[in-house]
Amino acid sequence: MSDKKILLKAEHIDKRFGITHAVNDVSIDIYAGEIRALIGENGSGKSTFCQMLCGIYTIGGGTFTLDGQPVNVRNQVEANRLGVSIIVQEMGTLSGLTVAENIFLGHEDPFMHHGIKDTPAMIREGQKLLDEYGFTNIKAGAMIDSYNFEDRKLVEIVKATYMKPKILIVDETTTALSQNGRLELYKIIDAVRADGRSVIFISHDLNEILTHCDTISILRDGEYIDTVNAKDVNEDDIKRLMVGREIGSAYYRTDYGKTISPEVVLSVKNVTVPGQIENVSFELHRGEILGFGGLSECGMHEAGKAVFGASLDREGTVTLADGTQINDIPTAIHHSIGYASKDRDNESIILNESIRNNIVLPSLDDLAENHILKAGKLNRFAQEFADKMQTKMQGINQFISDLSGGNKQKVVLARWLGKGSDILVLDSPTRGIDVKVKQAIYALMQELTAQGKSIIMISEEIPELLGMSDRILIMKDGRINGEFMRSESLSEEDLIAKMV
Amino acid sequence: MARNDDMNQSKLSAFLESDTFKGLLPFIGLVVILGAMYYLTDGRIMQPKRLRLLLSQVYYPMIVATGVFFVMTLGSIDFTEGSTLGVASIVVSVLSFYNIPLAIIGGILTGAAIGAVNGFFHVKFRLQSFIVTICTMYLFRGVCAYFTTETAIPASAAIKALDSDNLKIGITVAVLIVAFFLFKFTRIGNDVKAVGSGETAAKFSGVRTDKVKFLAFVAAGALTGLAAFVNVIKVGSITSTAGNQLETQILISLVLGGLPITGGAKVRFSNIVVGTLMYTVLNNGLVMLGFESATQQLIKGVVFLIFVALTIDRKALKVIK
Amino acid sequence: MQGFRNSRFFGFMILAAMVIFFYALFKVLTPSNFGSPANLFSYFQSSIIYSVGGCGLYFIVVMGLFDFAVGANIVLSSIVGVILSEKLGYPGFILGCLGCGTVIGIIIGFLYNKLNVPSMIVTVGIMLILESVAVFAAGGVKQTLAPELRFFSGAPGNIILAALAFALMWFILNYTRIGTYCNAIGSNEFTAKNMGIDVKKYKLIGFALLHFFVGIMAILTVSYGTTMTALTGMSTMSRNFQPLMGTFFGVAFRKYGNPISAIVIGEFIIAIIFNGFVALGAPTTIQNVVTGAALLAIVTLTARGGRGSVVK
Repeated sequence: MSDKKILLKAEHIDKRFGITHAVNDVSIDIYAGEIRALIGENGSGKSTFCQMLCGIYTIGGGTFTLDGQPVNVRNQVEANRLGVSIIVQEMGTLSGLTVAENIFLGHEDPFMHHGIKDTPAMIREGQKLLDEYGFTNIKAGAMIDSYNFEDRKLVEIVKATYMKPKILIVDETTTALSQNGRLELYKIIDAVRADGRSVIFISHDLNEILTHCDTISILRDGEYIDTVNAKDVNEDDIKRLMVGREIGSAYYRTDYGKTISPEVVLSVKNVTVPGQIENVSFELHRGEILGFGGLSECGMHEAGKAVFGASLDREGTVTLADGTQINDIPTAIHHSIGYASKDRDNESIILNESIRNNIVLPSLDDLAENHILKAGKLNRFAQEFADKMQTKMQGINQFISDLSGGNKQKVVLARWLGKGSDILVLDSPTRGIDVKVKQAIYALMQELTAQGKSIIMISEEIPELLGMSDRILIMKDGRINGEFMRSESLSEEDLIAKMV
Repeated sequence: MARNDDMNQSKLSAFLESDTFKGLLPFIGLVVILGAMYYLTDGRIMQPKRLRLLLSQVYYPMIVATGVFFVMTLGSIDFTEGSTLGVASIVVSVLSFYNIPLAIIGGILTGAAIGAVNGFFHVKFRLQSFIVTICTMYLFRGVCAYFTTETAIPASAAIKALDSDNLKIGITVAVLIVAFFLFKFTRIGNDVKAVGSGETAAKFSGVRTDKVKFLAFVAAGALTGLAAFVNVIKVGSITSTAGNQLETQILISLVLGGLPITGGAKVRFSNIVVGTLMYTVLNNGLVMLGFESATQQLIKGVVFLIFVALTIDRKALKVIK
Repeated sequence: MQGFRNSRFFGFMILAAMVIFFYALFKVLTPSNFGSPANLFSYFQSSIIYSVGGCGLYFIVVMGLFDFAVGANIVLSSIVGVILSEKLGYPGFILGCLGCGTVIGIIIGFLYNKLNVPSMIVTVGIMLILESVAVFAAGGVKQTLAPELRFFSGAPGNIILAALAFALMWFILNYTRIGTYCNAIGSNEFTAKNMGIDVKKYKLIGFALLHFFVGIMAILTVSYGTTMTALTGMSTMSRNFQPLMGTFFGVAFRKYGNPISAIVIGEFIIAIIFNGFVALGAPTTIQNVVTGAALLAIVTLTARGGRGSVVK
């Protein structure tokens, strides 16, 4: 191994978002001429790590050294100049520009003569590149808008690789591509390797990783775990490395063997949301915590929205025990369903509003006397439930945007407690929340189920699913792919096997 | 020493950016402008005759501003007030020959219908309110011009005979009280503010956002229709320029009153009253001081820009467009 | 097939179809007094004045900004141009309009960046100020362009100047960074920043360019009307909207490649509709009804937001 040259040296890389320690003192060496897979569960810090390298996020701590040169850049163009480029997960091309303009955005200099852009030359050069890559059906002079998502991804691949970067980052791009597109991408990364340069490859597809990567580095909860040779391991080995964390069991449930009430409070039948979930059916029982797990894009978040009546173009039915059909949000709320979104700042709380108004909003009809709202009554109501959740605040008139993530979530829960909701859909309820508040939320969930309320808990954290759920449904590619009952013997591996 | 200065300065700028100060600023502005005008006109601006004149210019903009206030609280914008006032004034004038209550109702319904058109296109097709209302402003300005092409449209003597300060004050105060009540003591106010502060979250909290938005535009139109009645009893006949540029005047007034352009939780009902008064006092004061109209407008423009720069809440704007 | 439905040619076909449709409609309704070649040419001449402004507005509307001071600057720049033309002839006229226009644009861009206030608000304030400055500049009297300086008042002068403006626009969009970067900022400001684009700088450039085009529009406007009177009382607001309609066309057809043809043809379509109604015997006051309704129909077809999107 010693004959290999280190191309990229990452030393003590660190990043925090509020209280979330997204990347925790990660040091990795990447050798010249290898394809390095970076894997880990949702939120393990792999994307954040790469986005610091290419300037999308600022570096929180530590240093990147590429070929002896420090890399600390402010944007992608600077990163490109130093030899780092990235193909991102979401759409990376810009509408309203031509294909050639997209490819060379920020790198127009070679085509500029005294402030005049040699557009024909740019288009020729762009077309030459596209042809070299074999994407002859894409025309460099055409508007990017005239191509579909996959072709736009191919343009992005050209944009990221034509300048022969020393390090190419591929961040979960393959999921967006068809088999053909994937093959093109594999050819390109193989060419990068053959050229003595390197690729950082992020993917959830273990089979793909084992086939196409040389080495695999595993991250877990922002920490570096290990690097292995792809030849020496199989899928099960990797899964074991991805999990294997100690479950800080102190604040999870300790009871096992609780019998679930046979009473069904909500039944979901054949629910499909085009492009998101397909033919999902399940029942929620009285007093149970039903866990939903899977990879980020598996459709579990949309399933939560569907139950709350918030999905667009939903097919199938969501029915309460009394026969009420849930098709829109006001009906859902009126019939005692509460929802806490994963996207807390946009969908759960009204960020530029006071704590008071955030708590009272769904309950206004209940609080009104002959349609008249009295400030005193609203204040008392908000105060009562904010206190019940032990929200740390200056007062109920404080704006919620000032609060920490945990306290924001407390306000969200206070709102549904106040509304007296019998069914709670909690999507990633402890995301970005510190241990103390987590504990409080878990305690509350148990208290509520003891009162006969039912909870759907959607979570990207496997220990949380194992620790809190009475029953767990695992989703994959928009469908329910497995069901597990609460049990001491249930392991992370069991769940992961159904996820990937 | 220098560090101390820095600290003082940062404290000062923190205070200048604080909500408390920004909330107070419109009132301070009104008092300062009123004080300056009082001083510069040797108190003439406070003479009863002058005050009556001043107030007579406040009524209908204040009624219109009350409706627009709800639209702007949503974070949307409405540019149709001027044309709505024109068209509704025509309806009021024509109907005034038959029956006065009918004329009032006709005006309000006309306004509400125009508001409904705005709301429908805005909500149903998800078009920016700014674009929709520019189109409809054009459309209804044309309608107003079409009916007044040959001659001005007269109103009946009966409706003109109603012209009295008491009636106009009465209507204006009634509108303010009802709107204040709805805004403060029913869920309408909460819903409108919630949509302005965060539409998606409001939807997820059970607010029927599309309905709220539609109704806000209808309300803005209806109140403009009511203002048309007040306008008709004052002017007596309607020409093609009726209500010209009212929308810009209302926009300036509300922004002067401290209404954040993004709408939401930080709007105050007082924005309507303070803003309209400030605009009118500034207007009248400059006239009394004998400036020619160009100078008056120059001063207004500069005051407006300074005021906006001081009051705007930049935190709420992620990307400033 | 997908490629074809999004090609330049397809976009152009839609526009051409609209022209033919409206032309045929009015030609059938009133064969005698609508749509002779001479008529069409005169509609076209009146529409290109707005098309020039529409081109300028494209730079900032595409970035999501707006400008209410366009009308006021048309008036101010034409007055400055006419005054300078009295002593300096054509050079004074042309440089006066263009220079004044551009300087105002730079000031607006600078104030927008400095004050950090939405462009819609800043430009309302600036509109008030520019209107009064125009009155001062004109000395309260009507400014008349001398008869010997009226090369741009009709064909071929106006056509040549407008063609130069369109060519310039085409050059900027296709042969400089400015077009690319304005489009990029409009598409996604965060991504654009991430690609190393200096957003503030390009917004300033956008305003400067807009008002350079406003300067050209001022030359055409005052040449066409031969006189210009400065008025206060926000009377210039209505001048903002005719060019804006062309811009809406341009933005709506942006995905097909060349917005300039969409702006020019769009303004021409509006002129056809308006003149068609006039030919039908409708009073000229119907103009605003027609343009308003046509625009509403166009934006409804082209600019609507996605389902579930938040639109203010």
